[in-house]
Amino acid sequence: MNIVVCIKQILDPEIPARDFRVDSVKCEAERGSANLVTNIFCENALETALQFREAQGGKITAISCGPEGAEDVLRKALALKADDAVLVLNEAPNADPLFVAKTLAAGIRKIGPFDAVLVGREAGDWGAGQTGGLLAEELQVPCISFAENLQPSAASGAVKVKRQTDSGWELLESATPLVITITNHEKNVPRIPKTRDVMQSYRKPLVKWTLAELGIDPSTANSYYRVAELFIPRKETQCEFISGDTLEAKIDAFAHRVTDCMRSM
Amino acid sequence: MAIDELRETGTEGTIPGTGFTKAHQLFRESVRRFIDQEINPYMDQWEEAEMFPAHDLFKKAGDQGLLGLSYPEEYGGAGADYWYNMALAEELARVKGGAIPMALGVQTDMATPALNQYGSHKLKKKFLEPAIRGDAVCSIAVTEAGAGSDVASIRTKAERDGDEYVINGSKMFITNGVQADWICLLARTTPGTTFKGMSLIIVPTDTPGFCVSKKLKKLGNWASDTAELVFDNVRVPVANRIGEEGQGFIYQMQQFQNERLISSLGAAAGAEKILRMTIEYCRGRQTFGKPLIENQWIYFKLTELISEVEFLRQMCYHCGRIMDRGDDYTREASMAKLKAGRLVRQVADICLQFHGGMGYMEEYPMARYFRDSRLMSIGAGADEIMLGIIAKFEGIAPAR
Ligand SMILES: Cc1cc2nc3c(=O)[nH]c(=O)nc-3n(C[C@H](O)[C@H](O)[C@H](O)COP(=O)(O)OP(=O)(O)OC[C@H]3O[C@@H](n4cnc5c(N)ncnc54)[C@H](O)[C@@H]3O)c2cc1C
Repeated sequence: MNIVVCIKQILDPEIPARDFRVDSVKCEAERGSANLVTNIFCENALETALQFREAQGGKITAISCGPEGAEDVLRKALALKADDAVLVLNEAPNADPLFVAKTLAAGIRKIGPFDAVLVGREAGDWGAGQTGGLLAEELQVPCISFAENLQPSAASGAVKVKRQTDSGWELLESATPLVITITNHEKNVPRIPKTRDVMQSYRKPLVKWTLAELGIDPSTANSYYRVAELFIPRKETQCEFISGDTLEAKIDAFAHRVTDCMRSM
Repeated sequence: MAIDELRETGTEGTIPGTGFTKAHQLFRESVRRFIDQEINPYMDQWEEAEMFPAHDLFKKAGDQGLLGLSYPEEYGGAGADYWYNMALAEELARVKGGAIPMALGVQTDMATPALNQYGSHKLKKKFLEPAIRGDAVCSIAVTEAGAGSDVASIRTKAERDGDEYVINGSKMFITNGVQADWICLLARTTPGTTFKGMSLIIVPTDTPGFCVSKKLKKLGNWASDTAELVFDNVRVPVANRIGEEGQGFIYQMQQFQNERLISSLGAAAGAEKILRMTIEYCRGRQTFGKPLIENQWIYFKLTELISEVEFLRQMCYHCGRIMDRGDDYTREASMAKLKAGRLVRQVADICLQFHGGMGYMEEYPMARYFRDSRLMSIGAGADEIMLGIIAKFEGIAPAR
């Protein structure tokens, strides 16, 4: 099976809240001293693909749409033994999901025939969670979201996908090709690349395509979607003591207070 | 694949003036994940038990490729440049305590460098390869009850009997000593002579006559096992000798340089970590209506120490550059080691002070750091020994 895994580079979401700042004019997060890292759900997606390949064979191509520096997340994918890596160069910051989906779709078509495209369920920076669905639309294939694993199916040209739902899980069978958005699960915790593979990752070939090569107009990077306002919500904490003569009276007063608060939210 | 080829591809250094490339950066990230998954969750438990599962942990580290970074691929190493060892040393400061970095450091940079450099192919296949894989735990045994700083006066002897050495004596304060599968032993192979009569010999610990006579209790680094070892007519093949007979002292002195560099760099990273933690603590802690950090004495002192840590780190990188040129860095490594020993004592003292009573409590990492860091001025050559070496290089020491 040919699997394509989409990988996004994001600002490290683990930085201390104190160090996180946003530029409210440009409507984007400030880089500050934060590292750029691989989006965790993309790592889960790659791990899912690696496990599938280990069991069933096949080929994994990692693709990212981003600036030159996004090469790093692809190098990491190569260190984890993705077979190939493609970077679609887009220097526009905060390109919107539809633009990214169109770009990735063009890149994936250029890579060649595929059976499954795995993407993270959402990115840890904006958390929009739209790229997977939009990408499926662009590629004209079905999409299964919130999947935690991928299994072969007895039927040829099909896969079994286990997806999480609000009430439990579903096991679906789908014809390939398809797009699957991957969520985290104890079975797809990303493995740690081994030292030798890390060293070799920067020696492996990595393909770079420009937007022009894919026929994508860079000026459309922010034309489908607009962030109207970006701010860090201010958290205010207050400590209030509930009084009352008896325990029941205190509980009653407390319950009223909580409902009042919820109403005013 | 050699790292030199890697550099040729033009991957830029991520820290200017060092040998760290982006691949090193990615390597650091893997080390961090390894520590967070395989070491830190168990640190408290291991400290309390005064023991860690060396075979289990080293196997995992070996599988990950962490135990033979700069050793040849022929023996399972990664064939990497020494900057990988340095990156590892820095990242190991993330471990919650000094015990495991010390135990790992013994395996990778203290007990094995001489074997790698001077050992025969057969000896390396038999002992280095399993150490790199993590299938064998090893120790370096130099110190004796009667000879620590004065290495030249060790008394453990290895007498030749046909194709074998017969070893008698004892060794003291040996890291990994309780769990080791083999020991890199410095013993006297020619009686009566001074430093010229010594050899490094590999002794498997299942050889009859070898015994761990005592597991020692310590001030710090509790999770690491430290042992007193006894050799009672222990017979090993002469082929277990590393390199030439009589060269052991010289090899050991060279081996010490790796140890000193790696431990100094680790000390710099560890000191920085504890300083950053202290800064956070002082930001959050209020006294007399303002955060502690707003007292000039406190932020000046912390700033000064951070600056000194940076000097130390840069000195270690400087050693790395000298090593890259293939030159001797004994002088600089000794300076770094001296500075590291002195600096961590100061950092531990000041940071604990700024934590107040909390610093004295076991529930905070501070107390452990205070205990563990004290070793830096003693192990791998005490501060005064470093002073002696540097004084010699500088021509200040009086002629003997
Ligand atoms: C936790 C721990 C782990 C260790 N692990 C190992 C190991 O794995 N393998 C191993 O071989 N050894 C190991 N050691 C031993 C360590 O290397 C020695 O303790 C160290 O070299 C100092 O030797 P000593 O303890 O005999 O002190 P001594 O040589 O007795 O010196 C005592 C003190 O005297 C001072 N001093 C010594 N000589 C001079 C001088 N010429 N001029 C001025 N002052 C001087 C120094 O301050 C020194 O600290 C370990 C020690 C510890 C504590």
